[in-house]
Amino acid sequence: MAYYNNQPRPRGVPDQSFLVSVFQRVDTDRSGVISDNELQQALSNGTWTPFNPITVRAIISMFDRECKGGVNFTEFTGVWKYITDWQNIFRTYDRDNSGFIDKEELKQALSSFGYRLTDQFYDILIRKFDRQKRGQVAFDDFIQCCTVLQRLTEVFRRYDTDQDGWIQVSYEHYLSMVFNVV
Amino acid sequence: MALEDKLLGRLKVAIIMDNNMEEVALLASLHMAVLHQVHHMDLLKVVVVMDSPCRGVQHQGDQEVLMEAMLLGDLMVYRDPILMELLSKASMDKLLKENIPQGVNAEAFSWFQTVDTDRSGYITLKELKQALVNSNWSTFNDETCIMMLNMFDRGQSGKIDLFGFSALWTYIQQWKSLFQQYDRDRSGCISLQELHQALSQMGYSLSPQFTQQVMTRYAPRSANMTLQLDGFIQVCTKLQSMTEAFREKDTARSGSARLSYDDFLTMAVGRLL
Repeated sequence: MAYYNNQPRPRGVPDQSFLVSVFQRVDTDRSGVISDNELQQALSNGTWTPFNPITVRAIISMFDRECKGGVNFTEFTGVWKYITDWQNIFRTYDRDNSGFIDKEELKQALSSFGYRLTDQFYDILIRKFDRQKRGQVAFDDFIQCCTVLQRLTEVFRRYDTDQDGWIQVSYEHYLSMVFNVV
Repeated sequence: MALEDKLLGRLKVAIIMDNNMEEVALLASLHMAVLHQVHHMDLLKVVVVMDSPCRGVQHQGDQEVLMEAMLLGDLMVYRDPILMELLSKASMDKLLKENIPQGVNAEAFSWFQTVDTDRSGYITLKELKQALVNSNWSTFNDETCIMMLNMFDRGQSGKIDLFGFSALWTYIQQWKSLFQQYDRDRSGCISLQELHQALSQMGYSLSPQFTQQVMTRYAPRSANMTLQLDGFIQVCTKLQSMTEAFREKDTARSGSARLSYDDFLTMAVGRLL
């Protein structure tokens, strides 16, 4: 689960018994549900700082279907896949394995996802998602950055019905668009 | 233990406070703690003056010398519940006032000493979270703590200094008094209806559907669609910030704005708190 892990990692879909053992290790209070705290403690961003609690909350709520404040085993398999997918993406762009990606690397990553963003906007992204104030973005903050961007883009597209890259919105519409994301 | 008068000239004075009284019960360990503290605070020489905090300062004479020492020049005061009882509130206030940097709120100054548990001179996210409690005794949620930390962290260092903390303290007090004002049934939390009234009295003209949407997003699952102080501060602060962003684009005040994708992203992400 850790971002940096010297253990060989199963490629593709890991087998069930492997995930069961991971789940049991993460579920420290043996409640059958992994809470925010348990997941945060199990995750590492590779920089010896606590994993971004907001990223953790966002991931849990994405998979927690019954609003129980955590994920059961079935939901956890989704969480596992989600995080490892992000790990693989992050690794591709963090070429020096520093645990951070800089502005140029972030540009390459987001461009490859299909985003066309201005240089100024990349400065804003770095400034906002650089939680450790190093001018670079760590793994956990990278997930948050991409998720926010993805959700804002989705909501913008929904309003941009004629697909011309412009929208006309009322005050309350604007608030509704951003309030759930940021 | 009597104070040694010769130490009290123009020296800086440290008065030790420790929440965990048991640990400093022995005078020897108190000495150690003081010496460590002194080194840390970079005071010149410090008078170790107290009896064990467990027993308090027992002699009238000691109290007077202690007060005198405290009223001299530079000093650091750590609030000790027992010490507080010994010294009258008035003299403590006087003492504090004389040592508070300009522009720093007195209560914030005193609270800072308590919140800054590792005595680093800065409040970190962890320390802030430990210090802030809602009326139902839950700690403030991470999002609100991070938001406020970012707002009052002037050095972009991820932590708050005394001045930032003083501003944050005032900020929380203001929201707290509004919270109490809008909590009409005195339930200790803000219901959907109370939130809607609050927002409309603050001058926002928003539909009940919008308030509902906000409540669904920000009320903790366990809270039965109500907001505690942390959620209330979070909602109001974000609303303020997003409204400002929108107004910058809606220069004609028509209530509607035309936004490009880039405008939209810059507004939303640039205003992330």
